[in-house]
Amino acid sequence: MRKLTVRYFIEGEGRIDLQLRLYAGEGGLDKEIKYGEINRPGLALAGFFDYFAYDRIQIFGQGETAFMNQLSYEQKMKTYSDFFSYDLLCCIFTHDYVPDKLFLEFAEKKNVPIFLSKRGTTRFITLFVHVIDEIFAEQVTLHATLVDVFGVGVLLTGKSGVGKSETALELIERGHRLVADDMVIVKKIDESLLMGAGSEILKHHIEIRGIGIVNVREIFGIRSVRNRKRIEMVILLEEWDSAKEYDRLGLDDKKYSILDIEVPYITVPVRPGRNIPVIIETAALNQRLKKIGINSARELDEKIKKWIMTEGQK
Amino acid sequence: MVEKDVIVNSDAGIHARPAMMIVREAMKYPCEVMLIKDSVEADAKSIMSVLGLAIISGSKLTIRAHGEGETELVDFLINLIEKDFRV
Repeated sequence: MRKLTVRYFIEGEGRIDLQLRLYAGEGGLDKEIKYGEINRPGLALAGFFDYFAYDRIQIFGQGETAFMNQLSYEQKMKTYSDFFSYDLLCCIFTHDYVPDKLFLEFAEKKNVPIFLSKRGTTRFITLFVHVIDEIFAEQVTLHATLVDVFGVGVLLTGKSGVGKSETALELIERGHRLVADDMVIVKKIDESLLMGAGSEILKHHIEIRGIGIVNVREIFGIRSVRNRKRIEMVILLEEWDSAKEYDRLGLDDKKYSILDIEVPYITVPVRPGRNIPVIIETAALNQRLKKIGINSARELDEKIKKWIMTEGQK
Repeated sequence: MVEKDVIVNSDAGIHARPAMMIVREAMKYPCEVMLIKDSVEADAKSIMSVLGLAIISGSKLTIRAHGEGETELVDFLINLIEKDFRV
């Protein structure tokens, strides 16, 4: 992962968009953000420095600023010099509150960037956690293709040459949307959420053997692509192996593990003449049904069992 | 499994044509072969994966192959990269 510095809060490619304004302490912009965590420095300001998480991002809300306001100059001098004796990462003031002159002097001297945010504290923290969690999320790069099929994020995997890209192309042609071809960056945003996206340079390009590399967005238009999609099922495409037994019922739910998250998984055998895109569409719709609690295979099974118990006994 | 490291020296890095040379060679072998840069793995048989690694001059690359023909393929690819794709 790239080294993340405080500078990313205000500039650079891959800028962390928290809508912050740098107010002071420009000299500290190259400090590295090691943890995606925050600290409310209320206790530290009150003089309690045990467990002071100085290397986290300090968030000053109305409570902190009100406390600072009622301090006398001497008290401020003492509090701030203690506070700034730590190697602070940066401070963010919410409600666009501009800290007092003495605080800013300390920040400049110690090279601690001071940012202002227009948002209220809770709103800002919500946004911050959302944005930062994604940056610090565990990630893996998979050799697969990700398509949004009827709103279901379908990850197509399989050996090279099995026809992932061709299948994706056919799905796009049928009105579905491509997220990434051949290389999918998967992030674990949450314990149950996997987000897939393409790499920045390859974005929405697809390689079709015989044609070469084509730009899907340019050819099929903006509606044929999307930038990211939650991965909700995995479909493994493999060459038809007549010796292998494929699932005929769909009664058992198989799971595929990505970054320790279990994703529903099916294997689709590929054979000339088999319409793979239609099969994938059906699988995606079936997955949606399962999600709302309708399992076609299981319901049919129940029906048959009931029939056997009643009619079959006559 | 065979694994070898190489530093890419060609000024333009691995752009479309060199990537194609790697993929074309890799496709000749039945083994699985991966290019690894900064712990990101890419299938060397997929041109998009190889391009997606964004390999620039000076990048350290690991080539890992597994299966039939692994040794020859890794040696060939190392040679190709070291000779700046002028083979």
